[in-house]
Amino acid sequence: MREITVTVNGRARKRMIKDNELLLDFLRERLEVRSVKAACWRGECGLCTVMLNRHLVKSCLVLAVEADGGEVKSVEGITDDGELAPIQKAFVSHGAAQCGFCTPAWVLATHELLRANPHPSDADLVEATSGLVCRCGTYNQIREAVAEVSAAPKVRRQSRESLART
Amino acid sequence: MSFGSPYTTLPDFEYHKPTSLEEALGLLKLYGDEAKAMGGGVGLIAFMKERLMSPGHVIDVKEVKEFKVLENTPEKGLSIGAAVTLSELLEGEVLKKDYTVLHEALAKVADPIIRRRATLVGNLCEAIPWVDSPPALISLDATVAIAGPDARRNVPVSGFIRGPVDIDLGPSELVTAVDIPQAKGSQSAFEKFTGGSEFSLASVAVSMSNGGRNRRVKVVYGSVNSTPIRSAEVEEAIKDGITPGSVRKAAAVASENVECVDDVLATAAYRRHLLKVITTKVLRRMMSQ
Repeated sequence: MREITVTVNGRARKRMIKDNELLLDFLRERLEVRSVKAACWRGECGLCTVMLNRHLVKSCLVLAVEADGGEVKSVEGITDDGELAPIQKAFVSHGAAQCGFCTPAWVLATHELLRANPHPSDADLVEATSGLVCRCGTYNQIREAVAEVSAAPKVRRQSRESLART
Repeated sequence: MSFGSPYTTLPDFEYHKPTSLEEALGLLKLYGDEAKAMGGGVGLIAFMKERLMSPGHVIDVKEVKEFKVLENTPEKGLSIGAAVTLSELLEGEVLKKDYTVLHEALAKVADPIIRRRATLVGNLCEAIPWVDSPPALISLDATVAIAGPDARRNVPVSGFIRGPVDIDLGPSELVTAVDIPQAKGSQSAFEKFTGGSEFSLASVAVSMSNGGRNRRVKVVYGSVNSTPIRSAEVEEAIKDGITPGSVRKAAAVASENVECVDDVLATAAYRRHLLKVITTKVLRRMMSQ
């Protein structure tokens, strides 16, 4: 057992963990961050994806201890004022969620794609999200949602978070 | 990897995070067979869930400063430290321009989220028959730099991979880097066929240095047998240049000469057909460049 401190969605969380604990379990079970989904457990479906120290990771393939002293962001933390990010609004208006199970991971991944590349091509989108699965098959609706945010005027296109950073 | 494991947890182990090679080797000396080195963890964590590996000590080498080296020099070529991730390699211009075969092989590994964590050395050390980096590295004459408690040694990638999940590495040794001789001005390419699955059913790496009739040609096939296979027959077929005629010849001799195995992913007969397809594809692409 050892104590780790991880900043999760802006809040420092301190817990005693075992060395073999997965980041996925740490987030979902210990801290009750329920948007982080457990499905394939082998890095294939991508539904446990979170940001760890500014990069997307599949948390079923990361040890909790590796996040010690680091920063984790899940979909709950993509805006800090309780408002929806533009990509979330676009997911709603295009019906890009059916059962909703995979939606947090897709929102996080497309939000991150749009931050790094505000006008992704279709190939960019397919490549960036090739590690995520939607079993309802809402890929076209997700594509439309991303296209809408990508085409929006610059100020609206950026999330509040990225505006704060600039 | 679909082994159908019921496990979602990891076996018990103690985690270590050395920051220097000396410290990492010290831990290996102390724990020996009980220890496993971890880079990005994408292989090891999956293996541990399957209980294919249950090390008592996991040594995370991501922060070992000697392992973060990534440099390309005219004399020594490209040196890739054990902690360098596939994303880091793919982002630079050097790989794309001078070591194209490796760039093409790595660009299709898993997905971008995994590539951000996975390391080249980790990918190589798994030595799974359908991994894509070994054929590309062998075609470039890459060597593996190994550090042990008493000595350092270098072995060619072709000899380092002894069999499926079997590498030439002692329990107290660590791979520090992969070194690739300077390949500036050479032409190389990689092609694989996955049939829509996540695994290669057959892959080919071709690397040619310039130099007229005395050019060095290497053709290496992956995923068709337990270890990568170099084909002297295919190399012979294209040594005088890639032309429509030599491409046809190469595809035919690849299919006849490269030994393929039957396994759960594909039959040997299907793989022999794929050899023809990917050999034609990769050489046609090189011909038009």
